[in-house]
Amino acid sequence: MAEKTVMDYTKYRLKKEEEIREILAGIPKISILWCQKCYKEFKEDFEPECGQLKDILEGMGTEITVCEPVDFLCNNYLTKKILEHLQVDEPIGVVSCGLGIQFVAGIYNRRRVFALADSVLHSGNATTIGYHGIALGPEKCAACGQCYLEITGGICPVVACPKGLLNGPCGGASSDGRCEVNKELPCAWIEIYERLKKQGKGFSSFVEIRNYSIFKVDEKKRFEKANRNERTEGFYGGVHPLEMKESTEGKPLEDFPAPERIFVFLSQHTGLPAKPVVKAGDSVRVGQKLGESTGFISSAVHSGVSGKVIGIEEKIHPVSQTLQPAVVVENDGADTPDPSVMPVMDPEGLSQEKLLEVLRNRGIVGLGGAMFPTSVKLCPPKPVDTLLINGCECEPYLNTDNRLMIERSDEILKGAGIARKILGARRVVFGIEDNKKKAIESATKSAGGGSDVEVVSLKTRYPQGAERMLIKRTLGRDVPDTGLPFDAGVVVLNVSTLYSLYNAVYRGIPLVERAITVTGVDVVKPGNYIVKIGTPFYNILNSCFDSESLGKLNGDYQLKMGGPMMGIVQTSTESAVIKGTTGLLLLEKPIVEPSEENECIKCGRCVDVCPMELHPDYYAYYGKRKQWDKVVEYKVKNCIECGCCQYVCSSKIDLLSFIKKAKRYANNKG
Amino acid sequence: MLITKVKDHRKIQEILKGYNPFVFKCFGCREVHFPEEEINEILKEGQGHLKGIARIDYLCREEFTRRYLEAFENEVRATKSILVFSCGVGVQVVSRLLEEKIVFPGCDTFYLNGFQGVTAQDFDCEQCGQCWLNLTGGICPLTACSKGLLNGPCGGTTKDGKCEVNSEMDCGWVLIYKRLQSIGRLDLLKKSAVNVRDYNLIIRAAVK
Repeated sequence: MAEKTVMDYTKYRLKKEEEIREILAGIPKISILWCQKCYKEFKEDFEPECGQLKDILEGMGTEITVCEPVDFLCNNYLTKKILEHLQVDEPIGVVSCGLGIQFVAGIYNRRRVFALADSVLHSGNATTIGYHGIALGPEKCAACGQCYLEITGGICPVVACPKGLLNGPCGGASSDGRCEVNKELPCAWIEIYERLKKQGKGFSSFVEIRNYSIFKVDEKKRFEKANRNERTEGFYGGVHPLEMKESTEGKPLEDFPAPERIFVFLSQHTGLPAKPVVKAGDSVRVGQKLGESTGFISSAVHSGVSGKVIGIEEKIHPVSQTLQPAVVVENDGADTPDPSVMPVMDPEGLSQEKLLEVLRNRGIVGLGGAMFPTSVKLCPPKPVDTLLINGCECEPYLNTDNRLMIERSDEILKGAGIARKILGARRVVFGIEDNKKKAIESATKSAGGGSDVEVVSLKTRYPQGAERMLIKRTLGRDVPDTGLPFDAGVVVLNVSTLYSLYNAVYRGIPLVERAITVTGVDVVKPGNYIVKIGTPFYNILNSCFDSESLGKLNGDYQLKMGGPMMGIVQTSTESAVIKGTTGLLLLEKPIVEPSEENECIKCGRCVDVCPMELHPDYYAYYGKRKQWDKVVEYKVKNCIECGCCQYVCSSKIDLLSFIKKAKRYANNKG
Repeated sequence: MLITKVKDHRKIQEILKGYNPFVFKCFGCREVHFPEEEINEILKEGQGHLKGIARIDYLCREEFTRRYLEAFENEVRATKSILVFSCGVGVQVVSRLLEEKIVFPGCDTFYLNGFQGVTAQDFDCEQCGQCWLNLTGGICPLTACSKGLLNGPCGGTTKDGKCEVNSEMDCGWVLIYKRLQSIGRLDLLKKSAVNVRDYNLIIRAAVK
């Protein structure tokens, strides 16, 4: 394999000493902001420019009051936040490329801002700038708007020929094929000729003339807006992957046949695992308690079928991927209901405590994936004025919440009514992403007619369904760094959770079944199924996929529980549906899988998309060196593991792996 | 962060029919405008003529692109030509890796202000190599003025401070004047001698 070419794409260099002396003559003190550069190897060391500048200023007798290194100075949003907290005195010297300087000068538009560096041009000719890609490779693009590359064998004459000639060589090339402008440079047109010869294709095109007017200013402005303003509308960061919802969008909810055996894990919620209350040989009925809640943050688990308890066996847990105890129940197919399955009489008239008791007993937890006990969430330690219904479902592929909203929005809103009563919330806001038109219609219809539920349509973006982002987007409130939604006076509940809450209260059914989306590559029966909690994955897979594609499970394909972004890769089909299962996806393994080994090139994309405004690039750098304390210093605890950074990482670094390790380290340390 | 726009659909269909190419579609800088849905439609129409499709991110990262070429080795070998939907950098990388194939660009590339940095911006830097921002209050005359004038306005400004080239654009020199006024440095306009751009710097960079 050829050696990788790594180009030096340094964006700025310090101005010459004489020039700096001239610019700063007579200035007694100065604050310095300097950009830590981008598109380069990630290094911990400070840039040499800072040291040089300090020496020059010392020689001049100018005092430096503040000297602040900033990562990605041109990132408007984050830099503005840094500058708000920084006490800088006039005048300000900026060491960065022209972008950073203009940005700082725009912020401090009543103070003197000095440019102390010049931008470095990397390619192009006297009339054109060349741009590199998100890689440190040698190729550049002049973004001319009329790509000629098929005519020139894939070598761009606009940037590779110093004269930017489009129609053949100038005639000044030396006999050994060198450029007359610079002897070290090969003549681009000779290279083009050689390349075309290899392709068996002569240069046979008509005369090309460059059209400088091709891209209108207004059109460019439109792209800029779409890129900067609209992308960060509501909350910072986030991504918009292909939605891939078409295959199951139109599939109505359908009951999945109850399996012969169910494996009900004792731990399928945040907090302590449930304590089993049945033993091998016991006969159980639908809705009967199998495990009891063992603390304040814990939850009960119930049987979704009637039959006989086989025992408590160790099975691979779909979240932790370790062996965990599960109650195995053999289904007798009779569906005999337990006497405890009784609707609550007059739920509107019940006290808050009684209602919470019902939810606790019936094992209701958050069904968006986190599985936090709902009864705990509904008695927050601080007053809450708003109940936020989360109908975002921002993960690609999944349609369970979508279908629930389309088909059962009345029930969801009734459930929300109970939650609102428990919370004493003044306001109910129902946020739905705008790619779910039918769900919005249905919710608006159900909410109409005298109810004061506000249905809000949100521009689709991942991870809008995360509590913090949703609160910021719909209510404009910030949840503090280490806080929870109630710190902002909000409780967020997912539509699936509200539907199960409705079932628990109005129909008396504990959480024994939930809707999941099953789809993916080669899917035979894609759909949104209501499955019993505890249904083994192999039952679902065998019914929805053919054996050939399942055979590729350990090769080209992988099984994910949840969505493609946050879903967990499953190593065993012997695992079973838990309360937090939102879907089962069979996906192709990526050709290039993320690795911890890859090197960061500081392209800044991860910082650009992190909705928590963190610096994932540092996690990779320090994580690789096992300096976990440093990772914790960069607020890894705030990370919500949405996976946006890994999704955009141009070096395919396994950032989530570093993040999880660092979090474990921080937890062990306390 | 370059923007790509799909070339004339008819032309692409001609390429598909005439050359039966293998297709690379880069969704590259991801959150930057990339017309993936439009491309999918084109490819659907010309489905019978394709040798295969690889959906790839950051086509410009040679080390990863090589791995895709290995994974699609048979499909690539079966054709003489490749159709690439990406910015100009991606097309050039594929051409270099597959020197004997005819590589067709499926898109034209345009630039976004602020590309050389990491976020799209209102303003731009032309990488001239001799920063003028000290004289102009931090607003670059090369990019804020549509004519790139260094020594004051051209005189074609409208009464409301707009550019005569495009009435939606502010006159860069009016902005500079206002900025200098607000920082109390209007004297800079008088003090500075006639500024001349040193194109030599650019040529030197070009041949570096």
